[in-house]
Amino acid sequence: MTVIWTQDGIVENDPWAQPGSDSGSKLLPLAEALEHARDNAAFGVVLQPADDVRALAPILDRVAIIALTFPAFSDGRAFSQAMLLRERLGYQGEMRAVGTVLLDQVPLMLRTGFDSFEVAHAPTIKRLAEKRLPGIDLHYQPAADETHAGPGYSWRRTAMLNG
Amino acid sequence: MYRYDEFDHAFVAARVNQFRDQVERRLSGEISEDAFKPLRLMNGVYLQLHAYMLRVAVPYGTLNSRQMRKLAHIARTYDRGYGHFTTRQNIQYNWPKLSDMPEILEELAEVEMHAIQTSGNCIRNVTADHFAGAAADEVADPRPYAEILRQWSSVHPEFSFLPRKFKIAVTAAERDRAAIQTHDIGLQLKKNDKGELGFAVWIGGGQGRTPILAKKVRDFLPEADLLSYVTAIMRVYNLHGRRDNKYKARIKILVHETGVEKLTTEIEAEWAHLKDGELKLPEADIAAINAYFEPPKLGDRAEGWGELAAWKRSDPGFADWVGRNVAPHQHPDYGMVTISLKPIGGIPGDATAEQMDAVARLAEDYSHDEIRVTHEQNLVLPHVALADLEPLYRALLVEGLATANAGLITDIIACPGLDYCALANARSIPVAQEISNRFGDPARQAEIGDLKIKISGCINACGHHHVGHIGILGVEKKGAELYQISLGGSADENASIGQITGRGFGPDQITDAIETIVDTYLTERISSEETFIACYRRIGAEPFKAALYASEAEAA
Repeated sequence: MTVIWTQDGIVENDPWAQPGSDSGSKLLPLAEALEHARDNAAFGVVLQPADDVRALAPILDRVAIIALTFPAFSDGRAFSQAMLLRERLGYQGEMRAVGTVLLDQVPLMLRTGFDSFEVAHAPTIKRLAEKRLPGIDLHYQPAADETHAGPGYSWRRTAMLNG
Repeated sequence: MYRYDEFDHAFVAARVNQFRDQVERRLSGEISEDAFKPLRLMNGVYLQLHAYMLRVAVPYGTLNSRQMRKLAHIARTYDRGYGHFTTRQNIQYNWPKLSDMPEILEELAEVEMHAIQTSGNCIRNVTADHFAGAAADEVADPRPYAEILRQWSSVHPEFSFLPRKFKIAVTAAERDRAAIQTHDIGLQLKKNDKGELGFAVWIGGGQGRTPILAKKVRDFLPEADLLSYVTAIMRVYNLHGRRDNKYKARIKILVHETGVEKLTTEIEAEWAHLKDGELKLPEADIAAINAYFEPPKLGDRAEGWGELAAWKRSDPGFADWVGRNVAPHQHPDYGMVTISLKPIGGIPGDATAEQMDAVARLAEDYSHDEIRVTHEQNLVLPHVALADLEPLYRALLVEGLATANAGLITDIIACPGLDYCALANARSIPVAQEISNRFGDPARQAEIGDLKIKISGCINACGHHHVGHIGILGVEKKGAELYQISLGGSADENASIGQITGRGFGPDQITDAIETIVDTYLTERISSEETFIACYRRIGAEPFKAALYASEAEAA
């Protein structure tokens, strides 16, 4: 079973469904999203790793959610896509990791600006539900997450305390 | 050298706990070996032929004696009493147990060491000139920049799942001792005409099955822009590097297939957005990191000049060792001493726990507590007074560490090969040992002069065979080991990729073939002043091929 998790916990009744699914509001692939943007309703987008996120720039204010895909845990392109969306394009809406989402990658995903996660692996769901993330709260580099300037050097950051 | 502050200590401790949790989840079956693999690799843990292997980072090859003693302790306690220094200035342990790994990492953390990113498809341990901070010919110490890169790249959220591994090397002299042109990013610290520090930036070098030398993309990048520019390179690579074929996934292939001009345009466009952002390095931070690398206070020791001359006259062995293994220091009364880990007939790069302890003690006594690991798999004491060379030499002799062969034919780089490595097709170590024995006579080595032999046991080229003056590549053919020879490679500022001579040689023929090449050189050279590589570049491969394959030509 797949669940959606955010830092607030597991999301009940998430409205967004992957393309091909029978229920819910569809997440649109990039080409369809650009087409759909002529209508006025808000919509969700699901991007593949090879998609250029910058194509969304003109319609970004109409996008309700962007799902970025990890086709395999070793494919880290979505980390850079996320950074570009948050830092370059200033996207502030929901950004979801879909595909292969491993527990040990979730802290890195949070840092690059993801805020919701589609997870299927039962032990991972359990750990996330318990909010036992395997991350390190001290960072040697700025990213897209909210952090404090770390002590010592300009490149350091420390995580904001949960709460 | 750099000292951890509270932040660094807390970070490394958190990293150890994180790994302990990962190992526990693996051992309980909660995560599969497939999912665990990238996690353990990013902590330096490999699964080899016979056992797990742990690769410990020695950032930019700099160690103090306390750290070296800890490495000895780990060798003794968790391994079989020795360790193996690698071509990336790291140390590997070949026999530790997976369940011991968290404890080993905890012990390392006590002395400000770790195994973070010594493997995996991430930014690897940053390497530097092993003579940094001591060499007479450098414009400044490159290590502070390597340290800044080390910190910035540690558990980088965006760049931990790259298409492939990523290696950065930094040097600060015209004479390139860090092989920057064979790295994914090579940085040469230099001064512009206003006397400001910055970097020449090279990208896309690499060895493996497609050896390519790096291309220069910037002649002078101001030092303040180091992290923003490297981030721009990494982001373009992460988004566009190939992921369909692991052998085409390094940035060298992206540079090659995209074209260096187009790729540079993309990097510069990305950098334009980043350069005035959070990654711009403040002068104060660069100065603060630099302060850790202040050279030790070296008092004048002019008496060493006279003593050295007298000692050399009375002991030819000592004179040979000084001639080969001691290089000029910034301070004229001092030298930089190479401790060869290439005893005649030995395993290149191996050191016993006792030898490591001895080096630690000698570093305290004679080298202001500093030790370096070289990418040529030797150790260096960087700050030794000429007046102390004789007692140091005596002490090294006792430990079997006074082999006077730095840069000579027996100073061989070799990967672990089929004796250890799961990827290897052929053995490397026995080949190195046999060549070393064949040419072990000091007079013969001296006559041959500077000659770099580099041996890899498979196409991944960990033994740097592509850039050996003589490169040896072990392959498997019809179930048997076969060794291909390449000639004319070089990893210095005049870098070049060696050319394969022709058909390979069996394990029982390879040493004879090397001897044929050496004899050809000795016959062809203009004088003993002309080194092997200079001679090769003058006369080309043909005379060597003719000698190697003479019997075939006669038969045909």
